[in-house]
Amino acid sequence: MKRTQTLSEISPPPRLRQLFQHGDMPWQIMLVLVSILVLVLMLAIGWMLWQTSVDARSAFGWSFLAPTADASWDPVNDQFQAWPFIYGTLLTSLAAIVLAVPISLGIAIFLAELCPAWLRTPLNWLVELLAAIPSVVYGLWGLFVFLPTVVAPLGAGLATLFEPIPLLGALFTGPIPLSGASRLGAALILTVMIIPTIAAVSRDVLLAIPPAQREASLALGSTEWETIWQVLIPYGLSGILGAIILGLGRALGETMAVTMVIGNSIESSASLLKPGYTMASIIANEFAEAVTKLHSQALIEVGLALFVMTLLLNMLARFLVWRVARKTPQEARV
Amino acid sequence: MRNKLFIVFAVLVAASLLLAACGAPATPETVTVVQTQVVEKIVEVTPTPDASIPTALPAGSVQVNGAGATFPAPVYADWAYAYQYVDPSVVINYQAIGSGGGKKAIVDGTVDFAGSDSLLKDEEYTAGKDLQMYPTLAGAVVLIYNIKLAQAIPTPAAGAAATVLPALVLDRATVVGIYNSTITKWNDPAILALNPDWKDYLPDADITSVHRSDGSGTTEIFTKSLASFSTDWTAGGASAIEWPKGNNVGGKGNAGVAASVINTPNSIGYVELSYAMSNKLPFASLVNQAGKTVVANNDSVQAAMAEGTFSDKLTATIVDGKSDGAYPIAGYTYLILHTTSMTDCVKAQKVLEFFKWAMTDATAISRASALGYSALPDAVKTNVLAKLAEVSCNGAPVLK
Repeated sequence: MKRTQTLSEISPPPRLRQLFQHGDMPWQIMLVLVSILVLVLMLAIGWMLWQTSVDARSAFGWSFLAPTADASWDPVNDQFQAWPFIYGTLLTSLAAIVLAVPISLGIAIFLAELCPAWLRTPLNWLVELLAAIPSVVYGLWGLFVFLPTVVAPLGAGLATLFEPIPLLGALFTGPIPLSGASRLGAALILTVMIIPTIAAVSRDVLLAIPPAQREASLALGSTEWETIWQVLIPYGLSGILGAIILGLGRALGETMAVTMVIGNSIESSASLLKPGYTMASIIANEFAEAVTKLHSQALIEVGLALFVMTLLLNMLARFLVWRVARKTPQEARV
Repeated sequence: MRNKLFIVFAVLVAASLLLAACGAPATPETVTVVQTQVVEKIVEVTPTPDASIPTALPAGSVQVNGAGATFPAPVYADWAYAYQYVDPSVVINYQAIGSGGGKKAIVDGTVDFAGSDSLLKDEEYTAGKDLQMYPTLAGAVVLIYNIKLAQAIPTPAAGAAATVLPALVLDRATVVGIYNSTITKWNDPAILALNPDWKDYLPDADITSVHRSDGSGTTEIFTKSLASFSTDWTAGGASAIEWPKGNNVGGKGNAGVAASVINTPNSIGYVELSYAMSNKLPFASLVNQAGKTVVANNDSVQAAMAEGTFSDKLTATIVDGKSDGAYPIAGYTYLILHTTSMTDCVKAQKVLEFFKWAMTDATAISRASALGYSALPDAVKTNVLAKLAEVSCNGAPVLK
């Protein structure tokens, strides 16, 4: 199969006068400038974070990021270590991804393949509506409804189930606070928040797969399940991975809702059931009133670490997509 | 043909909707309602016809920008609203971005005035050249609690009055003990001794202490008080601190702390008095340094302010007062101005007039105390007004 040619490949190289005559050249220059803008913005943000955290970086060095159980974040004595926040961000985001991916894939498959036509429009609409709810609203709902009624009893149950198991038990050391404010609460809120993103994009990926693929598979005698699992999912895998990256990005950077439900406490315990802190929430919480120079610089350094972490995770995910895409046909690359 | 008919119909519908929308406010009833509302507002705030304020400038022509502490933000916003009726020419914007942000903004000269709960440091005085802090108000921080009673209050016999538990009483050592996690149960002997009426009701349950997770002046007042209460408090006093390890959670803002306390049985948390009052949350009485039990209110904060002594920079600490009536967890909030380098003299005049009005006008003071803040006592006020009168613009005094 021959892949579609792009505009630059089809048209022959034009003469200079022609370019300006029809405005092609100015248009092209404009577009190049606009795309360079993205790069410039990224570099400007990174440079600003690097520059404005210089004292904190020289004062604490790598120990700022080092994993320790008894990290201190003490604005009074100007002692700062960011590990509790890094751990909180990673744990809540990864837990949210683990929970959200199967659910969102289920939603996407149902919407794209199995849903009766009359139900499809309202369901699509609802999924997209869920993605449009502002995060502070999720936070309010989480704080007043979700934490006390769902997370607190669920956490208590998880503690009795998993705590005795070695290794895994460290993640489920109870008891969960009675209010439910915990890393588990944050992870569940994040799950709810990223499900619509992942589901909507995956659904579009599945819908973009040419019908011939389905027909061929069904004609060979596959069941619906086999068609979905062995043909459609592998075909759209790179696009689905892209959707998961989008969800992960939202989870890593989410500030408001998480701050409202996570309990904002620097815990030495690794447990999901304990209150915690994330990188975005410490910045949101303390930056406005950070009076000493080192305190505000340490917060900016947390921002820098979050920035780099997001970049690294995105690059890793891109690499995964690329690995997968090499094995899938061109048309399915999204 | 059908298309044309449809268009005509659509136009008619649209026109009638428009007419309906425009027509609505013209009905006589609505107009009366609007008018009474406006009249009420004017009546409420106009008993201060101030002849000294020139009204020559057109309404809203002077924009004054302030930024800073969140602690006084509700009352600054309320004053700014009321002041429109006193001097319509000025519009006052106050952005509650936090004390740190406010101080940075006034040092950089990006705002006309700043609000702050924490004091300027020497290097900030140097960087800002001619900065001066003026206390504008004082407020108290109170401890709200949610205790799941060990047993239900018995239903009273016919005719007898029902048992009503008084407000919980804590002394300075127990507050420190609770936040230090050295007092971990509600039925700790130290708490029981202070609350004989609660003897049968305080549960054998762990105390969850709730603190502000965001840096705030409230936390600064509270932790500075703890540091003053007892040498056992080693975490220091600042707008954000490292809380001792223990059974504690952080909530964002007054609302976050209150929500955590309400949602968590057997918890305690601290919020501003104004917040506790407007949300009708029960709060604990405290035993002060003189050994007297005091309730946080305007009187007890005034008593605390009465004994505060001002430094030459017009700042004072009023935590842990020694007099009988003083509420021990209280603090000033400050206004910060440039004293000589303001260049827009009209604006400078409007800022000073606004704060002079806020501190001296009876309406402004009653508005502040309705929100749970305490106005300055007269002695302090005289000091502050004298300092305000020293502010100059292009060499000439601003306040005439």
